[in-house]
Amino acid sequence: MSWGRFDTRTIVLIPIAIAINIVLGQTVSAALKIPIYLDSIGTILVGVLAGPIPGLVTGLLANLIWTYVLPAPFHSDYAAPFAIVAAEIGFVSGVLGQVGWFRSRPNADTARLVLGAAVVVIVLGLIGYYGFLPFYTNGTFTFFGDTSKTEPFFVIVGYLIGIGVVAAILGLIALLFVRRDLGVAYVAIGGLFCGIVSALISAPISAVVFGGVTGSGADLLVGAFQKAGSDLQTAVLQQGLLSDPIDKTIEFFIGFVILQTLSRRFVSRFPQGEKAVGLEQA
Amino acid sequence: MLELHGVGYRYAGYANAVLHDIDLTLADGEIVGVVGANEAGKSTLCLVACGLAPGSIGGALTGGGLSIDGEPMAGKPLHAFATRVGIGFQNPSTQLSGVTGSVFEEVALGPMNLGLNPRETVERTNAALATLGIDDLAEREPRRLSGGQGQLVVIASLLAMRPPHLVLDEPTAQLDPEGTRLVGEALRELAATGTALLVAEHKTDLLDGLCDRVVVIDGGRIVAADAASILLEDPHLTEWGVEPPSRVRLAQAARARGLDPALLVGAT
Amino acid sequence: MILADDLDPDDVERIRRLVPPTPSAYHRLNPLTKAVIATVGSIGAFAAGGYVGPIAVDLVMLFLAFRAGVLGQLGRVSLLLTLPIAISVVLVSVFTRAGTTILFTIGPFDATAEGVDFAAQTLVRLFAISLSIGLFVMTTDPRAFVFDLERRGVSPRVAFVAVATIEAVPTLVERAAVIGESQRARGLDTEGSIRARLRGVLPLVGPVIIGALTDVEERSLALESRAFSRPGRRHLLWAMPDRRWERWVRWALLALLVATAVARLTGRI
Repeated sequence: MSWGRFDTRTIVLIPIAIAINIVLGQTVSAALKIPIYLDSIGTILVGVLAGPIPGLVTGLLANLIWTYVLPAPFHSDYAAPFAIVAAEIGFVSGVLGQVGWFRSRPNADTARLVLGAAVVVIVLGLIGYYGFLPFYTNGTFTFFGDTSKTEPFFVIVGYLIGIGVVAAILGLIALLFVRRDLGVAYVAIGGLFCGIVSALISAPISAVVFGGVTGSGADLLVGAFQKAGSDLQTAVLQQGLLSDPIDKTIEFFIGFVILQTLSRRFVSRFPQGEKAVGLEQA
Repeated sequence: MLELHGVGYRYAGYANAVLHDIDLTLADGEIVGVVGANEAGKSTLCLVACGLAPGSIGGALTGGGLSIDGEPMAGKPLHAFATRVGIGFQNPSTQLSGVTGSVFEEVALGPMNLGLNPRETVERTNAALATLGIDDLAEREPRRLSGGQGQLVVIASLLAMRPPHLVLDEPTAQLDPEGTRLVGEALRELAATGTALLVAEHKTDLLDGLCDRVVVIDGGRIVAADAASILLEDPHLTEWGVEPPSRVRLAQAARARGLDPALLVGAT
Repeated sequence: MILADDLDPDDVERIRRLVPPTPSAYHRLNPLTKAVIATVGSIGAFAAGGYVGPIAVDLVMLFLAFRAGVLGQLGRVSLLLTLPIAISVVLVSVFTRAGTTILFTIGPFDATAEGVDFAAQTLVRLFAISLSIGLFVMTTDPRAFVFDLERRGVSPRVAFVAVATIEAVPTLVERAAVIGESQRARGLDTEGSIRARLRGVLPLVGPVIIGALTDVEERSLALESRAFSRPGRRHLLWAMPDRRWERWVRWALLALLVATAVARLTGRI
């Protein structure tokens, strides 16, 4: 496994990747007021094409430049503290790219697709049952437990969240079968993992620096969790663990599709391009 | 002097070579035009002549090699090529670096990258701007220039590196007629500086009167090479996918109608 | 400031015209100094916590902005940027934060005094960050900042990335606008409900990204021809001057920041 190289092509790619981060991030979050930011796609692409260290550097520089260098109207006062999270996303994408988790595995037969779907469901199930449920059902906020002591409002919110999460899972699995590409399963698990790590790292930053809010609809969730009894840090983490994995999985998937769409000639000129996208089938 | 001996080249990931057995010499101060149909190998030839193929884009030479002033260039780092042979491409907006706020700084970028001290950098920049006649653009923002102006800035930037050889791959392909005219004039100014030029072009009018020699590429091989005045009037040009210069086409049309082409002198 | 003393006066004049204007004494400070001020202000505000520290930072930044002649602009921009977050801060903190002193109640939500206190502290802190960074961005030319860093030893490649991003962003926006126009001409609807807008934005995302990425190849080839990959330092034509007393100021501010952090961590404040 290689840590990546900084050749001229990579260095030229990085500002363009950062621009993609910023333009998508600002457009999407302004248009849809939900906690799906889509502001790491450029970082992910650099990580996969050039390696983990260039990915890490891209994330770091992206947030620092967004705050300290870019002039209005693209400037953001609040991006710099999250540079570490962005760096982590770049690094994780790079590592996953190295082990081939962004490769397309097309024309998989139904058996393998079913196996892939099953693996995704099992992984999610395990994380959900042993990780999420206990975490979210502490205090008086319950999904499936005793709801008699809780405000009906929060029980409804709880179920809505549960439905939303299940819908996301189903959507992913549907994609798997629509594209008949086993690579989707790998990307899904990769995105999930990256999302969880990102939530863990960004929660303390958000809580301490920004009082846990971002100005988007996610703040309602934070409020809900806090109202239900979690302290600020936990509430932010609870919100983050719901939205970040979805956000990162969507971004990983977009990155995956883009990598498949780029011409082989283009991709192969990058230091890690061949390894990340896989060898030519034909 | 830039020499290609028996050079072949294949792109990375492809089994077949796109250039075969190319013998081409660019003597000091010489101006050579390269013509041929699309996909005949003009661009690939340009990339090989300046070392970017295989140096930057990978792939491999399948025979022969490139030497400059007698020195084989195989395996040399890319920045060693930059001072010996510069290359200009079609699209001005991707060639302007995007990191400078003025044309002056854009042209100065190359010399600065060479580690030259400010005095030399400024000298070379002024000289390049003067040669191309764009001193009045010096304080303009590169990104707001027209296509033709942009290409002039690009050529000036390359010139500031003082390479003895310059390769231009279809410099006017993406320009409007005004831009094409500007670049055509610039090429003549360049010729006067003594820089050897290798110009790949569809627009044979530009090469007419500019080049000493012309070379025709077809299917990755050089199928014809001769003095420009002779080759540009060769009737086989259209077979090779090349449109002759307008004066030649006019003369051919005149002859076809039984008119004396000499009557058309001065019409183009 | 011109970084060479052996140039012709005409050339000196020309380079001087390329240097970005500095309308006030604050603008004329070295970019690194201004960056340190901004960083110490924003980190210091939340290192100090409470009210006193952040409010002090707010006042200092407003005063400096006044001296730099950007007070009105800075105030407006900071308010605009902080407003969405401020609303969330107030709602979330006041109404959902655990507290014992209830001020009033709306439905299931109790507004607590502790919540108001937390919201106020957060707002003051957020303003401190926004004013600090905003002041820096408004009084510093980004290229000048990056050149200054390069002069101090930052790699020219990092400098390239920073400056190239400045132009890459608006270029990408323009590209998106052009592609958006051509898609609208082909009947794509981009107004209306969220679903319609989403369907409108998604087809843009692919071509915009792919188009921007394919540029990378041509750009890197062109840069190679300008000796971009040559290792080693460069001699810049101009950079902002740095003065001895500024260096003292920077170190003093950093020391202040460390002291504040230590005091906070050891419970002194």
